[in-house]
Amino acid sequence: MSGKNCVAIASDKRFGVKYLTISMEFPKMFQATDKTFIGISGLATDVQTLMERFRFKINMYRMNEERDFEPITLANMVSSTLYERRFSPYFVEPIVAGLDKNNNPYINGMDLIGCSTTACDFAATGTPEDQLYGTCEALWEPNLEPEELFETISQTIMSATNRDCVSGWGAVVHVITPERVITRTLKTRMD
Amino acid sequence: MTDRYSFSLTTFSPSGKLVQIEYALKAVAQGVTSIGIKATNGVVIATEKKSASSLIDDSSLEKVAVVCPNIGMVYSGMGPDFRVLTTKARKAAQKYKRIYDEYPPTGILVKEVASVMQEFTQSGGVRPFGVSLLVCGYDEKGPGLYQVDPSGSYWAWKASAIGKNMVNAKTFLEKRYNDDMELEDAVHTAIITLKEGFEGEMNEHSIEIGVIGGGNFGFGPGKEEPVFKKLTPEEIKDYLANIV
Amino acid sequence: MNSILNEFKSTSALCEEELHDSLYDWDTANGFALPTFEFPAVHNLNRFMKDITSASAPCQIEIQHGTTTLAFKFKSGVIVAADSRASQGNYVSTSSVKKIIEINPFLLGTMAGGAADCTFWQRELGRQCRLYELRNKERISVAAASKLLANMIYRYKGMGLSMGTMVTGWDKTGPKIFYVDSDGTRVDGELFSVGSGSPFAYGIIDNGFDFDLDVPSAIDLGKRAIYHATHRDGASGGTVNLYHVKPDGWARIGRWDVEDLHWEFQDQPKPSPINSSVIG
Repeated sequence: MSGKNCVAIASDKRFGVKYLTISMEFPKMFQATDKTFIGISGLATDVQTLMERFRFKINMYRMNEERDFEPITLANMVSSTLYERRFSPYFVEPIVAGLDKNNNPYINGMDLIGCSTTACDFAATGTPEDQLYGTCEALWEPNLEPEELFETISQTIMSATNRDCVSGWGAVVHVITPERVITRTLKTRMD
Repeated sequence: MTDRYSFSLTTFSPSGKLVQIEYALKAVAQGVTSIGIKATNGVVIATEKKSASSLIDDSSLEKVAVVCPNIGMVYSGMGPDFRVLTTKARKAAQKYKRIYDEYPPTGILVKEVASVMQEFTQSGGVRPFGVSLLVCGYDEKGPGLYQVDPSGSYWAWKASAIGKNMVNAKTFLEKRYNDDMELEDAVHTAIITLKEGFEGEMNEHSIEIGVIGGGNFGFGPGKEEPVFKKLTPEEIKDYLANIV
Repeated sequence: MNSILNEFKSTSALCEEELHDSLYDWDTANGFALPTFEFPAVHNLNRFMKDITSASAPCQIEIQHGTTTLAFKFKSGVIVAADSRASQGNYVSTSSVKKIIEINPFLLGTMAGGAADCTFWQRELGRQCRLYELRNKERISVAAASKLLANMIYRYKGMGLSMGTMVTGWDKTGPKIFYVDSDGTRVDGELFSVGSGSPFAYGIIDNGFDFDLDVPSAIDLGKRAIYHATHRDGASGGTVNLYHVKPDGWARIGRWDVEDLHWEFQDQPKPSPINSSVIG
């Protein structure tokens, strides 16, 4: 979700098989660069594999090019990595969110084979995608300050996951500002 | 059968040298001179275009190559070897663009080409390239000029010369170069440097010039980035007219 | 002339039937009869109903498949408890379903499977039980009531009914629990849990059960069992509803939001929703 010179990214913490909840501490986002995060929802094994592959590629890029990924370049890399598996895809839907070198928000959502859409407002993936888009449409407004953005994305993810059987069990929110990343954990319903 | 001969031809001599590479450098030193100068707002690369016979249609000769919109290069040494490297460099640039949807920074492309050249000093059944390259480009860090040698080693330069007349040309450049030089000035300097030790008449058909930066902006929709451009004979003629 | 007259004179079979129903509904016995349904005009009814109600059907008509319900006997009667989540697929349609149905002041039924099936048939069961009472001047036994239910739904076996229910109550023979489901199963027992969260509930009950439990402890055990099931089972959640069946009928003990129970059982105060840390 984008704000005024800031972006926020949030995910729940559940890992489960069908309706069985196995873990409540399963991170689905990781920090790609100082000002960019990747969030991946989908099949847990692919989420982990891709996180490792992306971490590898991001580190190699940083060493090779002596610079950090710009969010848009990162999104293109993620997209091409997914399309490499066009006919045996990873079952994931990633989101790239960050600030570019001019501190403008960048948000990008992708399907499992890398069809990416850049959004100026918000992007959502995962089982409660419908609920997330609904709450986003209702709560989001342009040019939110970091604290307002935090409140908005938190209410959004909590409302949406409470209407989904297989999401929730806690949530994490990162608010990325030019100066720092604010990370907060949300205590949500545990059912 | 091929397997039997696929050991490396480039092997160390008892004195610790790779003589094949030294021979390659000799081939370069026999090639026509090429010049590269980095200015504050761009880079110029230039070379002589000498044809063996007056009957050759020299408009078809191409010694300055566009690698991708923001990178170009020129060589001294063996023309056919350069063509192979140009193809490889262009492919590398397009591969990079396919992954990241942007063209590589100059340094990355140079590294890629240099790796290819290094590979040909160590692989089986091949010989080193008989060319040195001057690669110029413009990226977010600004203008860049690199020289790549047959060994695969590369350096960034403010100004450099390769080929037959390189020693004199470098001495000349050392005198003429200054850090505040702008692209127009650099083009003039490049032409003058080439003129030193130029055999025969210098005209718009006997030299080739490529520039990046200055006023040439914009490739891709909405993108204001410098593009590499080969000067047309007419443009070269204008430059030559200003030099007496 | 005649042909026009004939056109208006003739009434369809359906119309005649409806006319009969509305004008001549004087047969009281007809009102006591079991409900009837219209069936679709298909060649193989069982196959058709099975197809459109199976989980793989393109448009599944059931809601509320995931559930946790439980009932167990102890020295002071029966504890009956259930969660309150209704889901359609992964979507939580509501979190305030009453899955324990009050059939009459002495009988409780629990709901798992199709919500509509459970409510309808248990309401029908309530009616049948009342008729039994009026006819026989005494309350129906739990065994008889559960058998009525089992027989009613057995007529529709294989046609897509989906219910897993427990009929509980206190009659002359003491506290009783019968498990009845849409396959036709009907069994008497001491302890049952039904629904997708039942393995978790069984775990808690089996671990903490003692027949001599006092009432507050038994209530707590039931509460915990449902809470843990809602915690681990995605298809269960919302609130815990809990009843105690006693010799003089059932009593509704209470309703607790599992969010409150979570922090209570963790021995932690209910937190302010945000716990923050700032990375520099």
